[in-house]
Amino acid sequence: MRIGLVLPAIPAYSETFFVNKIKGLQAHGHEVILFVHAKTGQSSFEGAKIKTSPKYGKSISGTVKALGQLLLVLGHVPAVLRFYRLERKGGIAALTILKRIAANSHLLSAQLDWLHFGFGTMALEKENIPGAIRAKMAVSFRGFDYYVYPVKNPGCYARLFSKTVTYHVLSEGMKKGLIAQGIPTANIVKITPAIDVSKFSANKAQPIQKQITITTVARLHWIKGLEYTLEALALLKQKGFSFRYTIVGDGPEKERLLFAAHQLGIGENVIFTGKITPDEVRRKLEESSLYLQYSIQEGFCNAVLEAQAMGKLCIVSDAEGLVENIVDGSTGYVVAKRNPVSLANKIAKVLSLTAEAQKEIAGNAADRIRKEFSIQVQLKQFARFYEGH
Amino acid sequence: MASGKIAIYSGEIPSTTFVERLIEGLAASGYEVCLFGQLKRKKDYAGRVTTIGYRNTLEKLWHFVSYSVLLTVSKSKNKKKLDQLLARQKKNTIAHKAKYYPVLYHHPDIFHLQWAKSTGDWEWVQEFGIKLVLSLRGTHVTISPIGDSHWARLYRHAFPKIDAFHAVSNAIGHLAEQYGADPAKIKTVYSGMDFQKLPFVAKDKINTPLKVISIGRSHWVKGYHYALDAFALLQQQSSLFEYTVIGIEATEELLVQRAQSGLENKVHFVGQIAFDSVLPTIRSADVVLLSSVEEGIANVVLEAMALGTLVVSTDCGGMSEVITDGENGFLVPVRNPLAIAEALLKVSGLSLHEYQKIAVAARKTVENQHSQAKMMADMEALYQTVLEVSP
Repeated sequence: MRIGLVLPAIPAYSETFFVNKIKGLQAHGHEVILFVHAKTGQSSFEGAKIKTSPKYGKSISGTVKALGQLLLVLGHVPAVLRFYRLERKGGIAALTILKRIAANSHLLSAQLDWLHFGFGTMALEKENIPGAIRAKMAVSFRGFDYYVYPVKNPGCYARLFSKTVTYHVLSEGMKKGLIAQGIPTANIVKITPAIDVSKFSANKAQPIQKQITITTVARLHWIKGLEYTLEALALLKQKGFSFRYTIVGDGPEKERLLFAAHQLGIGENVIFTGKITPDEVRRKLEESSLYLQYSIQEGFCNAVLEAQAMGKLCIVSDAEGLVENIVDGSTGYVVAKRNPVSLANKIAKVLSLTAEAQKEIAGNAADRIRKEFSIQVQLKQFARFYEGH
Repeated sequence: MASGKIAIYSGEIPSTTFVERLIEGLAASGYEVCLFGQLKRKKDYAGRVTTIGYRNTLEKLWHFVSYSVLLTVSKSKNKKKLDQLLARQKKNTIAHKAKYYPVLYHHPDIFHLQWAKSTGDWEWVQEFGIKLVLSLRGTHVTISPIGDSHWARLYRHAFPKIDAFHAVSNAIGHLAEQYGADPAKIKTVYSGMDFQKLPFVAKDKINTPLKVISIGRSHWVKGYHYALDAFALLQQQSSLFEYTVIGIEATEELLVQRAQSGLENKVHFVGQIAFDSVLPTIRSADVVLLSSVEEGIANVVLEAMALGTLVVSTDCGGMSEVITDGENGFLVPVRNPLAIAEALLKVSGLSLHEYQKIAVAARKTVENQHSQAKMMADMEALYQTVLEVSP
């Protein structure tokens, strides 16, 4: 099969999800073509063809370029006509359609069995392209596109939901949400993220020690709930707990978090590593006795999978996918989000568990990850995704 | 008549309300005032106010050329000295000179800088006998040095040498001491208001649902997510309220929180409103809520206190210097949604008489502490201490 994947950019090798998926599909004998906005960072992907979306400015030369693209798609008149008709039917103005034809010329000229949008937001205004090029349409919902974008843009997926689409979602929660939108259950496939379990060994699990070492891997973004996490840790410090908290990652909210740590009186206990290499991340995890992911919104969260695979005790929030990532009380602990008092209480409770009890939970988690969240399992699911629909 | 030549520098002409009041007040007292920087719009000042501003790059270039000539003709020694200084600091550019030459030429007695982050740009004035006064205000002092150690280093280097500080609150003055500012050189001068434009009107009822508003720019420092957490708690208790945040566009973080907390019908976000409608909006509310994690002394709180609307404020920055909990408003710890919720419940439980009593006390506080006359007297006293030690 020829599978077109629409993504913002060529996935970097650290973006394990797409990298694994593409490689897996190729291994199953499928041809993968990447349609990207821009060749930022990486400029190629082994074994996959790359098509970049055309860009025009508003200048005269931009208009000339756009007209040039329109001429190029003339070789694909039937697809373009079908696109035009479908868009007209959807009430789109003729000039807007012409602009969309120019902007999507790389997609309209493609011959594919499947056109798969890597994020829900990538399918916006492109809902009629698969129909026009007679390809099946697939859309992945990954988290932000599903839980955040529509809050700011109500009704943005109305057009998408009216089409025949096979959806890939990360969690049961997302699946239920789509069913509530009237999407037939048969068209929704849950495939959770997965990790290369061989890279995350649980051998070096640390028992919880006197000086507690706590870690979170997260972008410094409000969505990750780090300010609430710091508040919980401040409460623990007031109760006499001694800890070192490491936040691995960088992002736009660094000043906010540094100030929060300072104001909360835990500036000396918190380390911001910034962006570090995957090997260094693993080392940080090895050193830690407790892993926190107290997010406000989370599609599923690979970092929590990795921490569990390494035999770390995890406490997470109840934000969306996290409640399926961790089985509360069995492979880790789930606490209501935006509630630092609850989080602090839970941390204190977990730390008071016996070494055996801690080991059991961590062991359960590592076993479950190996069985259910390995890349091998995921690849089979993806192969079935295209073959079964 | 007072004597002395004072430059007020914020980078922009005209500047903030505080700065404009200061300029007008100084001119009225007989000081000679110089304004430098970018001219945003033309403004005519009464008294001896000289505006040396540029509107665009071309005019900035003209500043460079004309003041190069003027300095060469009348103060060539000083020009040479400044040029050498700039060369050492690798600031030997036309842009820098266009900014600095006019100040060197007009040579004020005092150069009063409004923003701490620019301190490094203006230390040189002291080499020419100009006294450097710095205003301690805003996130430049409260947040930036915590978020980026570059600023902390700059302040530790520069603050010990500054001739005097104007602090917008005692709290921010104490912060400056941590960077080596001499406490004896720090004077708190509270911002002054024109009470004639802020008439007190006693409320004739407290609304149900309770009408709560916040006004401020969209920035994490405003702590709006704690306010929303507080309203989520009130919602759980079925308390009746309506909360409007004015001044923020559709912020993703708050929109998501509002949706997650099921507060869509009770919490409203409104973009900036016209200047004229700010006061009526404050007056129509039962409570002005300040949920910030850091502030100097928030103007919106002072305005609410003047107008007769009760304030619930976090105890951040200098807020406790105006609000005494339960007497002229309500003060709650920072980052504490439960405390905000409890304070709002307290207000909704007040009788009209109790509400008015607190409102009257609030008005008295700001009248005593934040009058324009007091602000001007305090600022002049600050300048005088600097001028008196002049050779």
